[in-house]
Amino acid sequence: MATEKTDVVIVGSGAVGGVLAAELGKAGMKVIALERGPRLRTEDFAPQDELRYFQRQDLRPDPKRQPVTWRPNTGARATMIQSLAYGNQAGGGTVHYGSVSWRFHEDDFRVRSQTIERYGASAIPEDSSVIDWPVSYAELEPYYDRAEYDLGVSGKAGNLQGKKIEGGNVFEAPRKRDYPLPTLNMDQVGVNFEAATKKLGYHPFSTPRAIVSQPYNGRPACSYCGFCQGFGCHVGAKSSILVTKLVDADKTGNFKLITGAMCYRVNSDNSGRATGVSYYGPDGSSDNTIEAEIVIVAPFVYDAVRLLLLSKTDRFPNGLANSSGHLGRHVMSHLGTRGFAAFDDRHINVYMGPSAQKHTIDDFNADNFDHKDLGFIRGAQISAGPAGLEGGPIASAMNMPPPPGVPRWGAGYRDFLSKYYTRYLALTGQTENLPYADQVIDLDPNVRDAWGMPAPRMTYDWRRPNEVKRVEFVNNKLLEIGRATGAAHVWTAPTGPGAPGSHHQGGVRMGHNPRDSVVNKYGQTWDIPNLFVIGSANFPTSAGFNPTLTIQALSYMTADAIANKYKKNPGKLI
Amino acid sequence: MSKHDEARRAFLVGAAVGAGAAAGAALVPEALAQQQPAATNTAAPGHDHAAGSGPGYGASLNVDQSATIKAFTERLMPGAPGKPGATDANVLNYIDLALAGAYSDQLDFYRRGIAQLDGYCQATYKEPFAKLPAARQDEVITALEQGKATGFTYPTAQAFFNTLRTHTIEGMFADPVYGGNKDFAGWRLVGFPGAHPAFTPADMASKEAFAGGVLIGLQGQAPTRRT
Repeated sequence: MATEKTDVVIVGSGAVGGVLAAELGKAGMKVIALERGPRLRTEDFAPQDELRYFQRQDLRPDPKRQPVTWRPNTGARATMIQSLAYGNQAGGGTVHYGSVSWRFHEDDFRVRSQTIERYGASAIPEDSSVIDWPVSYAELEPYYDRAEYDLGVSGKAGNLQGKKIEGGNVFEAPRKRDYPLPTLNMDQVGVNFEAATKKLGYHPFSTPRAIVSQPYNGRPACSYCGFCQGFGCHVGAKSSILVTKLVDADKTGNFKLITGAMCYRVNSDNSGRATGVSYYGPDGSSDNTIEAEIVIVAPFVYDAVRLLLLSKTDRFPNGLANSSGHLGRHVMSHLGTRGFAAFDDRHINVYMGPSAQKHTIDDFNADNFDHKDLGFIRGAQISAGPAGLEGGPIASAMNMPPPPGVPRWGAGYRDFLSKYYTRYLALTGQTENLPYADQVIDLDPNVRDAWGMPAPRMTYDWRRPNEVKRVEFVNNKLLEIGRATGAAHVWTAPTGPGAPGSHHQGGVRMGHNPRDSVVNKYGQTWDIPNLFVIGSANFPTSAGFNPTLTIQALSYMTADAIANKYKKNPGKLI
Repeated sequence: MSKHDEARRAFLVGAAVGAGAAAGAALVPEALAQQQPAATNTAAPGHDHAAGSGPGYGASLNVDQSATIKAFTERLMPGAPGKPGATDANVLNYIDLALAGAYSDQLDFYRRGIAQLDGYCQATYKEPFAKLPAARQDEVITALEQGKATGFTYPTAQAFFNTLRTHTIEGMFADPVYGGNKDFAGWRLVGFPGAHPAFTPADMASKEAFAGGVLIGLQGQAPTRRT
């Protein structure tokens, strides 16, 4: 039996946990983080082994050991989700992510107000639970800035203190200063996407990525090997939490990471106070306890919701800190709609250069375009890159259905791959799906994980009228852009069933008051002031942008609030 | 010299031939020569055992099952002059080894799927799948793909088709250490130069096929060192 005492215990050492461990350690607080996976090192990452990292998902949870189930509605039978896109080791998802690092738009933080002001209240679908965030872009801007500089993000400003700059994202919210690092080198995906979208009058730019384009903080520049999404970076140029904040946390002398530790309960007394956590050790032992003044729950959405549901007490019979009844509700996920352009007259060599969403237009995201008479609100980030977001042939074959008229196997398929693997680019529309209260994570009564705990179960179907119309609109844009490249073949992939994609958000929603949300803007639970839950689970709306930089900015903001306010005067921050 | 070492030598010679075929005039023999010492220091978990080429025992599948999978995967990705297919890439060897390792929980899926496939072929054409002419095999695969083949319970016809398609893609394009993609056959087919640790701005500015296309696999790479 291991019982330890500390100031702060953090469940999960990823995008949230790493930032808080380092920042609170710097503030002189003793921090212990629990991590269910291992702590790997840069030299552990065999480069470019597509089978291991992309196809067999070596850096992601094994669905057989850590199942998550999904059903489209409460009447359907839940089935296992076969591919889990989040992290499973120290550094979390930032170890294997594509590193796309956005600041959300100003209107992403006030979707309800923005929509009503511009289109009237009737534009919001009646069954949607769209609300404004309790934090504004202006309030978060210094923390975005800190995250970009502290971690290392490469990009070009498009809006410097209100001055629009061509070549950057002219739709971005105003920033106080430029990115710390220049954009990554352009490849032929970028060249062709840029030419096509400019011809159409749009505003392309190099996607900001947490991959260093020049040596930075002792790490080498990107080598452009092309394997980011799904892979650990074999040179350490990806600004993952593993090579940034966990290193910082170690240096504070106040940080201890326990790997192989699966947290199964947040302990609390009935006075409305969290007392610590219990966890399964790597040897399967269950009697391991950490007592802490502050408990921070920081795993991915599924595990955050599940942990609170499993930690129910007499006082909170429906899940810890769930007096509002909103725990597990309003869950969202991005849908990635996909188009393809294949060329007869040029090579693209899609396997070169940092992968994921390489080049982007923001013209049809958020409320950057007029939605009047379109029949839907909110938009999508439209980007170009390899199919499957990394450039090897397995990902391309698995994620690029051949164009109409070409079979999926046999000589015709062989010839298609043979000719076009080096001559195609993929287009993705990453859609901002709205929150709905009946999109839920709860506990699956039929499926248990390797530790014997009930699996998280998601009830979710993106195919709402507002969402379906947006997908049709975005797919037409993908075709328009594809044709403008001059490609010989342009086509879209059929949209799949209602199963969730990646980038899940919601479930532990932040809000303005304890009645309609679980946490305040600091991730502090309304019910238990020394219990924080932080991550994309807090997002009231999803934006069309990848979530990680916003998760990190929120983490820096909370770290400041704990170090500067809570530490002196423990209690409600709001 | 053990059989294992013979296979390794054949692999390395094949790698050089493969690189030459892909890179043509751009072949850099020095670079390949430099890779060989590193490669020979490494064990070859994906060695080319008998299941791939002859009627010996494999790691998972028996002789008849091997013949069925070999024939099926070759129809999914058929070889032609200058276009390596599943047999050229030794996709069967990849699947056989995977079923003894990472996919060992799918061996029952394969056994039952093959038995159902042959049952369907016997009922429809009076012959097992492997003995049917190619055009008939294509009809059978189409029936599986469309879920029209009868007699399938577990796995379903479509699940069996989809799994074989996925594993054929893996066996064609996964690094040769996993037992397929023999002599980089799959990478040569599509023009993937392999796991290059870096590309230059000039490489990325080119609208032509990659000029430095020396094929590099995991065993030819220098390991990442602690910095």
